[in-house]
Amino acid sequence: MLNKQLDLLVALQDLDIMIKDIDDVKQIGFDVEGREKLDEARNELTEKLSKPLAFNYEKLKKRYKRAIVPVKDDFCLGCFMRVPTQLITRGREDTAVINCEGCGRILYWYE
Amino acid sequence: MQVVWSKQNNNNRLNHGVTMQSKDLTEYFSENLFVANLKAKTKAKSLEELSDLFVANKVIRTKGIVLEMLNQRETLGSTGIGKGVAIPHGRTTAALDVTIAFGKSKNGIDFDSVDKELVKLIFVVLAPPQDDNNRYLPVLGKLVEVVHDKANREKLLQAKTFEELMQVFEEVG
Ligand SMILES: [Zn+2]
Repeated sequence: MLNKQLDLLVALQDLDIMIKDIDDVKQIGFDVEGREKLDEARNELTEKLSKPLAFNYEKLKKRYKRAIVPVKDDFCLGCFMRVPTQLITRGREDTAVINCEGCGRILYWYE
Repeated sequence: MQVVWSKQNNNNRLNHGVTMQSKDLTEYFSENLFVANLKAKTKAKSLEELSDLFVANKVIRTKGIVLEMLNQRETLGSTGIGKGVAIPHGRTTAALDVTIAFGKSKNGIDFDSVDKELVKLIFVVLAPPQDDNNRYLPVLGKLVEVVHDKANREKLLQAKTFEELMQVFEEVG
C-alpha cells in the first residue's frame, strides 16, 4: 500500500498518464474499458493527499507536461538545475516532498 | 479480448515513425529480468515477483509504485491477451527507460484472460512518462505482434535460457 505523500503523488501522475495513453494502448489491441474506474481511483488518491500538495500538483500540471520529474545525478530532469546538497539528503530520505528550486516541479529520486 | 489475432499492428501513428523489428526488442530485455520458472501461482503474485526483479536490478526504486500502476491498469481490463500470454504494461514516473521483465510459468496462471486460458508467458513492459524516442508504443505493439504467431509462442515456451529466448526474437527478424 502506498501511504507516503510522495508515493501518492507519483501514483496520481501515473494515473494521469495512463488515462492519456488509453486510446493508444487500445489501438495496439489491448482491452481497455471503463476509464471511469481510473477517474474514481484518481479521486481516492487525491483525497489521501494533503490539500496543499494536491493543489501544488494540479498547478504544476497546468504549467508543465509533468508535475513530477526524476532527479538524475543530482540534476532535476525538468530544468537541469543541480539540486542543492541539503535537499538531496532530505529527498533521498523520502520523508518530504521537495520542489525544484529552479522550476518548481516536484522531484522524484528514482534511484 | 480485443486483440485481433489475425491483424498486424502497423498503425503509423503508434509507431511514431519508429521502425521496429522483432530483433530490436532484444535490447529491452535483460538476463537479470528473466525468470524461467515463476514461483507465483496467481496474477497478483506474478506481478509482484516480476516487480521485485525491477527493484533488485535498480530499474525502479520502490515496488509499491509500480505495482500500484500495474494493478490500476488491470482494472481497465486484463492484460492477459489470450493464448496463454499476458503483457502487463504502463508508463511510470518511477522508471527511466523502457524495460521488459519476462517470466514463464510451467503450470500457468489464471490471469483473468478473455479466453480463460492459463497464462504461461508474462511480459511486463515498463516505460517512463516522457519517452523522447517514442519507443514504448512500438515496443508494445511489436511484442503483441510477435506473440500473435503460434510458432513464436511455442518457441518462447520451449526456450529455457535467456540466450534461447533472445534467439526467438532474432530469428523472427
Ligand atoms: Zn527543475
